[in-house]
Amino acid sequence: MNIKVLFFGATADITGQRHVEVPIEPETTASEVSKSLITEYPRLASHKLHISLNQQYANGEEIVRDGDELAIFTAVSGG
Amino acid sequence: MDFFELITDPIDITSVARRVVPPGCGATVTLDGYARKYTKDKESGEVRETQYLVYEAYEPMAIKEMEKLIDAAKQQFEIANVGIVHRLGRLEIGETSVVISVAAPHRKPAFAACEWLIRELKRTVPIWKKEVFADGEEWIEGDSQAEVPQP
Repeated sequence: MNIKVLFFGATADITGQRHVEVPIEPETTASEVSKSLITEYPRLASHKLHISLNQQYANGEEIVRDGDELAIFTAVSGG
Repeated sequence: MDFFELITDPIDITSVARRVVPPGCGATVTLDGYARKYTKDKESGEVRETQYLVYEAYEPMAIKEMEKLIDAAKQQFEIANVGIVHRLGRLEIGETSVVISVAAPHRKPAFAACEWLIRELKRTVPIWKKEVFADGEEWIEGDSQAEVPQP
């Protein structure tokens, strides 16, 4: 199983990627995916991060499923 | 009719404002948000001079969040139509980054709804601003995300 993880703005700069495919085990939560990416890209840890799952804000407890779209980003700053 | 768009061309403020006007309304309040040259650092108090801005969005989610905001505004305020247009890409100082137009039968709810919409847009719609200075650049992180779920 794989999910797609998207990065924007600061998180895209830190990871050097706009999206990555991440293999997941069954019953993995959104925050576990996020934590594994923070381990891979430690500079992410210096920011307050937000997660969305399938284009909705997520609290991290959601179970991710094959083909899901997760995004990891810093506090939004539009306007 | 409501509308919510992300565009890369300059925003025509008048056309946004006029698109929301229905026959039963008497006032439209329009916010013209634009790129500011001088920004005071909240911690150091130091004033920085911005050369230009770059806006980036998680476009499909941003569209959904804008639609949700409009629905929520229409529940809370006596308003008729809302239009929101946010620009993406590089913006020079003084160029319009966001326009919010709210048409209502009477002006007071239109002012209140417009203020509420820009405050919520800045807090929830996944758009990010990069400020570019003479000696560097920085992705700006919003202030208050208290009610947005944390990872």
